[in-house]
Amino acid sequence: MTKISNISKLSETFSAGLWKENPVLRLLLGMCPTLAVTAAVKPALTMSVCVIFVLTCSNIVVSLMRNLLKPHLRILMFTLTIATFVTIADLFLKAFMPEMSTKLGPYIPLIIVNCIIIGRAEACASKNGIMISIVDALGMGLGFTIALCTLASVRELLSTGKIFEFIVMPKFFVPWAAMSMPVGAFVTLGLILGLMNVITRKNA
Amino acid sequence: MSKIIYFTKQSWLLIVASFVFGLIIAVTNSALSQRIESNQTKKLFDLMGQLISGSERFSREYENVTVKTAAGKEIKTDIYKAVDSESKTTGYAFIAEGSGFADKIKLVIALDAKAEKFLGFKVLSSNETPGFGSKISEAYFSNQFIGAPAAILELTKIGSPEKIDNQIVAISGATVSSQAVADIFNTYIDTVRDKLTKGRDK
Amino acid sequence: MLKDLRVSCSPHIGQRYSTRQVMADVIIALAPAFLFAVYYFRQYALILVSTCVLTCVLTEWICNLICKKQDSLGDLSAVVTGIILAFSVPPSLPWWSAVIGSVFAVAIGKMVFGGLGANIFNPAMVGRAFLTASFGMLMTTWTVPATIDTAAAMPAVSVASQNVDARTQATPLAWSKEVIKHKADVKIVNGQIREMFFGEVGGCLGETSALALIIGGIYLLIRKTISFHIPLAVLLSAGAFAAIAYFINPEANMLPLAHILSGGLLICAFFIATDPVTAPLTRRGMWLFGIGIGTITMLIRVVGEYPGGVMYSVLLMNAFTPLIDRLFKRVPAGGKPHV
Repeated sequence: MTKISNISKLSETFSAGLWKENPVLRLLLGMCPTLAVTAAVKPALTMSVCVIFVLTCSNIVVSLMRNLLKPHLRILMFTLTIATFVTIADLFLKAFMPEMSTKLGPYIPLIIVNCIIIGRAEACASKNGIMISIVDALGMGLGFTIALCTLASVRELLSTGKIFEFIVMPKFFVPWAAMSMPVGAFVTLGLILGLMNVITRKNA
Repeated sequence: MSKIIYFTKQSWLLIVASFVFGLIIAVTNSALSQRIESNQTKKLFDLMGQLISGSERFSREYENVTVKTAAGKEIKTDIYKAVDSESKTTGYAFIAEGSGFADKIKLVIALDAKAEKFLGFKVLSSNETPGFGSKISEAYFSNQFIGAPAAILELTKIGSPEKIDNQIVAISGATVSSQAVADIFNTYIDTVRDKLTKGRDK
Repeated sequence: MLKDLRVSCSPHIGQRYSTRQVMADVIIALAPAFLFAVYYFRQYALILVSTCVLTCVLTEWICNLICKKQDSLGDLSAVVTGIILAFSVPPSLPWWSAVIGSVFAVAIGKMVFGGLGANIFNPAMVGRAFLTASFGMLMTTWTVPATIDTAAAMPAVSVASQNVDARTQATPLAWSKEVIKHKADVKIVNGQIREMFFGEVGGCLGETSALALIIGGIYLLIRKTISFHIPLAVLLSAGAFAAIAYFINPEANMLPLAHILSGGLLICAFFIATDPVTAPLTRRGMWLFGIGIGTITMLIRVVGEYPGGVMYSVLLMNAFTPLIDRLFKRVPAGGKPHV
């Protein structure tokens, strides 16, 4: 009996991150990478993988030490944990994907101040057991990935005529350079958020 | 005394975690640092190989060559040498940087073995506006530098880009970026050429 | 019937003009510039204006349909947006990019804010800004008017651009940039004031002929569709700036008159800056708004990198409009308002 309720709770936590509490499209957290690295799908995907890695690791560690935390020092602990994993992710990128590392530039180290991760540590991992924390991290991370990749594929398609560096558009297509600039990020994000609102209003 | 006990009670986790995390980062860093460094030189040598045809091996020829910018600032750069399979010098290259329209532009600039002609440039990193300034890496602009005399270059708007001389025709709509590239060339060329020709005389 | 009647507090003022009438007046005032454009650029003018107007109207209709709003095509504002957008792009712009610009202008520039009256920025300028950012090459390729035989009067600039098949020529402003940078001869521009007045120079579709724009502007002033404050402020401040620049260095700067006649300054002064939605409401605010546009335009032209700065200056001052309105808030009879 308890096992079934456990599983349903886990799947609920997981799916919350995908749609109902999607960190980017619903909670509007983590706007900095959302606007900055979505000019193409590849960097967006790399960024998402990094965020999933950092989020999962920090959720695990925070969940493990949740009973030892002193309330007034908890944010310090969260930041310390997150910074460690971000530095590791950054070093790995530099070593194994140098091209991508220069492209993403400062936005990988900036994951440290990404609200999604510290938000999940505060809202979920510091209050729940390790299983729920992991599932929550994966759900939220996947929601983040979906949002970033949607945004990035629209922008990459219109600004270069390619998706994931494969040419999709016909030959006569002239790329819209503005879509790879910040303008494109804001406009596309705004339109996607509007679309989300239309869909949820219809369902409600 | 009680203060110290209180302090330790409150912060022992923080102190322990700092040590543990610091250790983890140190281990990762020492495991990967060599690879990271070789990545950077590999990229540089790749670009050098594309610029200087027939080159096989690369090595650092001069370290910390000091260059003065127009603003009077001093920057240091290294000059690299490329040799072919018979150890004959095929050319030199150096990393040069300067401010572009949006951000710093970093270029690899190649010279021929006698330091008389440019062999062109490749963009190492730049943040120029897509569609305008980013065109500095496109062939119709960058080909103008291949074979240009290793002297002060001049940027014009009117002229033929096919003619190879010290006149560089700007990209329309991206004059600032074009000017930036020409300026980077001009900042470095005198010092680097002097260094290379003097080294040969010795 | 009753739901169309709205009752509000007194005092009630009889409004002579409806939005529809104002917009119709603007369209009439733009007619001479359109005729000149057709004369100089032939089929280009017809294609561009019809594409832009059609797309703008269609976009507004679709947006209203999606948002389930009342149809607002009757106020003709989409038509005006389309015409002004078409007038402020180069004649050789391909039709598809005019379509993209029009859709962006109406959908993003106007409808997402809630339609006419709620937009912060001038929709036509938003569309043009998007086109400039997206298709920089196309937006700076200037076709020579069909009435000129050779482009000898104004040498071609920017040879290093690819895919240019139309016969092109530097605009007076692009040439003036050459003068500043490379000591080209400023007399070539200053000698063209007559051509600029009639529009026989390269440039945006509806901006080249100063005469047609002045006729349209005077019509709007006579009909009291616009007040004289903004146009006067724009032209005076730009003229003053140009005069100072010319006084300091006549070798490197165009004549003030040439500055006023060239580029988009006139169409901006009479038609773009005076857009009732995005301009301040009070007279003092209008002066400040106009001076801001004139000064920023001239700053961009004389000091900046772009040859023409009308679009950016209008967008910038549009952003300041709410602040200006707040600064010069009208004091109601009897005392200061509670702020």
